[in-house]
Amino acid sequence: MRIFDPHIHMTSRTTDDYEALRGAGVRAVLEPAFWIGQPRTSVGSFVDYFDGLVGWEPFRAAQFGIKHYCTIALNPKEANDPRCREALEVVPRYLAKEQVLAVGEIGYDSMTPEEDEVFAAQLGYAREYGLPVLVHTPHRDKPRGTERTLDVVRESGIDPSHALVDHLNELTVKTVLDAGCWAGFSIYPDTKMDEARMVAILQEYGLERILVNSAADWGRSDPLKTYKTGLAMLEAGFTEDDVDRVLWRNPVEFLSASGKLDVAELEAGTESPSGALFEGNSILRGSR
Amino acid sequence: MSLRFGFGTNGLGDNRLPDALRLLADLGYDGVALTLDTGHLDPYAEDFERDLPRIAALLDKLDLAVVIETGARYLLDPRRKHHPTLISEGSEQRIGFLERAVRIGAELGAEAVSFWSGNRPADEAVPDDELWGRLVRGVERVITVAELHGVRLGFEPEPGMLVEDIAGYERLIAALGDPGALGLTLDLGHCRCLEELSVPDCVRRAGDRLVNVQIEDMRRGVHEHLEFGRGEIDFPPVLAALAEVGYRGLVSVELPRHSHDGPGVAMRSIEFLRAAAPGSEPDLRDLVAGYAKPGGTDWLDQQVAEIALDQAVIRRVFPLVGLRCGRTPAGDSGLCVDDAARIVLLEALGLHGPELTAELTDLYRYGDAAERRAVLHALSHLADLDDSAVPLVLDAVRSNDTRLISAALGRYAAAHLDDDAYRQAVLKCVFTGIPLADVAGLAERTDAELRRMFEHYAAERLAAGRTVPDDVVTLLEGPA
Repeated sequence: MRIFDPHIHMTSRTTDDYEALRGAGVRAVLEPAFWIGQPRTSVGSFVDYFDGLVGWEPFRAAQFGIKHYCTIALNPKEANDPRCREALEVVPRYLAKEQVLAVGEIGYDSMTPEEDEVFAAQLGYAREYGLPVLVHTPHRDKPRGTERTLDVVRESGIDPSHALVDHLNELTVKTVLDAGCWAGFSIYPDTKMDEARMVAILQEYGLERILVNSAADWGRSDPLKTYKTGLAMLEAGFTEDDVDRVLWRNPVEFLSASGKLDVAELEAGTESPSGALFEGNSILRGSR
Repeated sequence: MSLRFGFGTNGLGDNRLPDALRLLADLGYDGVALTLDTGHLDPYAEDFERDLPRIAALLDKLDLAVVIETGARYLLDPRRKHHPTLISEGSEQRIGFLERAVRIGAELGAEAVSFWSGNRPADEAVPDDELWGRLVRGVERVITVAELHGVRLGFEPEPGMLVEDIAGYERLIAALGDPGALGLTLDLGHCRCLEELSVPDCVRRAGDRLVNVQIEDMRRGVHEHLEFGRGEIDFPPVLAALAEVGYRGLVSVELPRHSHDGPGVAMRSIEFLRAAAPGSEPDLRDLVAGYAKPGGTDWLDQQVAEIALDQAVIRRVFPLVGLRCGRTPAGDSGLCVDDAARIVLLEALGLHGPELTAELTDLYRYGDAAERRAVLHALSHLADLDDSAVPLVLDAVRSNDTRLISAALGRYAAAHLDDDAYRQAVLKCVFTGIPLADVAGLAERTDAELRRMFEHYAAERLAAGRTVPDDVVTLLEGPA
């Protein structure tokens, strides 16, 4: 099984996780910039975080033969905090980076006027930089929030096939697919989807424009949920090729809209962990 | 003006002189340092008068420049090496030989005639003042003949001799009233052996007094002429310093104990020197052309043209280089193709001094890992950088990203980090598994304190039941 997890917050995860991910077939990950669990108090905090997403985290991932990409944005939750608004101005500097494949996570948290402004501004960045968007849907009042999200994306003029609307469930999947956007599902214990419900959605809606992710972060989450969903699909009678489509080809297809994903390089470069880095890294060697 | 390389015929003692000259010309040497010796244009041999014009004609035909060296071991006294000297009994014979060497130099169109003071006599208890008196009187006579023939003299400080360093040479010319005809022959290995200054700084100190240069590898405190790579000298900065001071004479390989493999040594030496000479680094554009993805070179040319019109363009295009040009290693240059392309973009800025540092700092500050790596490599490629970019090196060394740390420790770091920072950086390499071979200037900058740090590191490793990396062992086993 080859897996591209299109939503996982590796900054919050350990090297054990990287090892387990690679062991389960995860060869590439996309880490969306988001909230860090505790409020940030200044723009500097964002800059350091973004630097990590384009610097240290890809280095860490490479030690385990995993290609690490990210998305950059000011997240909706902190769009409401005046101390963090300046971060909106540093975002473009990172959007030009080659491993930044989308603008995200953007969207709504509490659907405030501030969130409206920041959402619109960042959809503008996406058009300017020719990048797809990763749109978060609110955890509270989800169906209403999802509809409003789709309206804003539609009005922005962004090609719907360049928008991934994430954290969906049985109640929101249809509107998103009907709008022509990509539908993302986070298989996350207790609060979001689980493997069995995901398989049922795939059985009902098919495989097109559907992405599965673990959304693993600093909460009680499981980075191997993509793999476990693959197993559940096979058990339910899906073919190996179906699993490959959902867990690898679909994320590759969606993120190719960035113009920055070198698929040949990705497929060649993640065949096995790089020997040179394995030897030369400063993480793997407990002995140092 | 590129450097001109020669080879000392005393390293081809088992070859006939005409054969040696042809061999060196074939290898592409620009000249020879011709030691008058038994079997090599022996001025005391019967057929010398017949040989001299033949050798002159051959040098001319082969287009080889020449300097005359006078350090033969048993030319004057078959039993006592280098005897007599300018400061021993019998110095008259030495003076006569040197006068003769000057006339031969004039005949061959030599760029310089080189000689040394000699060791303090072993069998005579003579105070140094008296030896200096003998030296000054002897050299004055040689100068007189040299001026008559319009031949430049090169006085060579030699470890162990009365005049063994540049300070000694400076004392000599001061005693002689600074005669224009008496230049300096500088043996760069000797500088490493005993001078306080670094080898490049010795070259700078010698400056316009330089008339002749000998080159070989050597270790601190051991006067043994070694093939390139066997000693401690980092040659690119040394050759760059020669170019910097505007030296135009020959830079001749001096390996008088290697005649048993002379032709092989001559071939390896010229290859080494060419690779180490300034401007011989692969052209960055050639690297890009050789290794870029299809369309990468055209894209780069376009960006260079745009940057020439508007410098701010670099901030937009710097992140895109990997995508456009590729990321594969560019041969054995130590750079990846995106590094080379990014350095080309930086050169296109045409900035210097503080403005250049400011732009580098900005690009580094907002760069991803690949951009930062390129900026760090660029420090060793861009001209006109003073100490002001050192904070970037220190930032990279504080990271745990081995790509950044190793890129940071190039020639720029070797030339600009202070001792404490340099030692800490080297130790960080050992801790993070970066091969010490990747660290510029290590042989020259290894000191007692760094060895102590390595010893403690090795002891800690052994106490923990772990192995000590080979390169650390090698460094600790090397001469102090």
